[in-house]
Amino acid sequence: MKRTYEEINAKIKNGDAVVMTAEEAIALAESKGVEKAAAEVDVVTTGTFGAMCSSGAFVNFGHSEPPIRMSNVTLNGVPVCAGLAAVDAYIGATDERPDSEPKYGGAHVIESLVKGEAVHLKATASGTDCYPRQEIDTYISLKTLNQAYLYNPRNMYQNYAVATNSSERTLFTYMGKLLPEYGNMTYSSAGQLSPLLKDPTLRTIGIGTRIFLGGGVGYVAWEGTQYKTNVPVRNGVPSASARTLAVIGDLKGMSSEFLRGLSIHGYGVSLGVGIGVPIPILDEDLMKTAVTTDNDIYAPVLDYSTPSRDRRPIGEVSYAELKSGNVEILGKSIKTSSLSSYNKARVIADKLKNMITNGEFLLTQPVEKLPEERKQKPLNICSKDEVAQ
Amino acid sequence: MMVKKKVKLRFVPEQANEPITYVLVKDYNLRFNILQAKIIDGGGKLLLEIEGEEKCVDAGLKYLRDCGVSVKEVCDFVSKDETKCTNCGLCVSICPAEAIDMDRDTWVVKFNTEKCIGCFMCVEACPLNAMILKI
Repeated sequence: MKRTYEEINAKIKNGDAVVMTAEEAIALAESKGVEKAAAEVDVVTTGTFGAMCSSGAFVNFGHSEPPIRMSNVTLNGVPVCAGLAAVDAYIGATDERPDSEPKYGGAHVIESLVKGEAVHLKATASGTDCYPRQEIDTYISLKTLNQAYLYNPRNMYQNYAVATNSSERTLFTYMGKLLPEYGNMTYSSAGQLSPLLKDPTLRTIGIGTRIFLGGGVGYVAWEGTQYKTNVPVRNGVPSASARTLAVIGDLKGMSSEFLRGLSIHGYGVSLGVGIGVPIPILDEDLMKTAVTTDNDIYAPVLDYSTPSRDRRPIGEVSYAELKSGNVEILGKSIKTSSLSSYNKARVIADKLKNMITNGEFLLTQPVEKLPEERKQKPLNICSKDEVAQ
Repeated sequence: MMVKKKVKLRFVPEQANEPITYVLVKDYNLRFNILQAKIIDGGGKLLLEIEGEEKCVDAGLKYLRDCGVSVKEVCDFVSKDETKCTNCGLCVSICPAEAIDMDRDTWVVKFNTEKCIGCFMCVEACPLNAMILKI
């Protein structure tokens, strides 16, 4: 059985495409087998909604009268990066308003923009002959901006380590609050619904792939930062964090249902991003990976009390175990919590399915494939001579 | 009829030497669970879950009021703002009272206020600030 993108898109346009969420495809493959499921289904949809810290939005404010080349810029008190021409800025999701509690940051500003709320802009500048103005204090919103687009350098981690804490002290991490002496365990992946676990070698996901992003439509822009392929594989799926994607999409058209500012106590701000990726079933092999279940997807458990980048896994657990609410490890039963929302992952996979079924969303063949091999480099303290090429 | 009430008590320094919990047990035959006890500037704060015969509970609370203790009955310590909650479940493993549970069919987080002991661990843990302090 073989299918092409063109054939699938022709079926979508005719309203004949058979589209299923990964959960539905799993049930179909379990009852009829992978071969029949592949013959029957054209597209499998996936979804995830989680904290994706490496996110942000580019905006263009437009020019004031007289014009200003903004240098120190804040939005609702959150400093944003304005080292881009005169009135362009990048709102980094994790930048914080000083002294805010609970923490308020760039992610919340992005959520406000998507909601259409007014956002307070303040900027100063040194003033030049071509940009004489030295300060501005005004309000902006999504409708006043020329451009406002999400550009997230690292989203949708293909699998992610599970966090726990062996120490006697409570830890506050980006994986949430970790109770002492293995008091709990937190994880952050939709497992069997998670996009990059369903096409693990990225045969169909590459530069230019159209995706569901934050409630609107977006695209894969590049390999995500910290993209790596040299990771252990179990049942055909990476059993540690591996590939990532950089994604882009217009904030106009997105919704706060799928784009949320998060304040993680004792850590800081992050952006909750909802993403869905369609997997075209070009052949049986793609259906085989698309129907991998939580029983076959494993993640390493890391002890976050080790303050090192080289944390040795204390074990490996399946998403089926994690999602049951309790995991047995080191002779203990540990309660689990998810940082990503499986409920929203389902909603996204379902929405994307409906968009494709209704002919509103066509599939795209990648313009370029993403790297087949990539190692992640560490940052070491080096001399000038050691690093120069 | 047996009843269970959650009460928030506030004391002024003059009442500090009154053994009120002892009296509640001995004279009013009440069972209680101390959820929080704090000495703060200008007095003290006690969060109790009191259980007993309805008339004993009422009499016990009257005794407290007569002593000059400020008594406030509370329904819920914490409420969940459904518009903010994304149903991630980060609060589930944090809750020491098993008052928060994940429905594994719908993947919706269920909050059982009856079981809540007012520790507020979930309030701090929620990245969406969806768990709201009520007292």
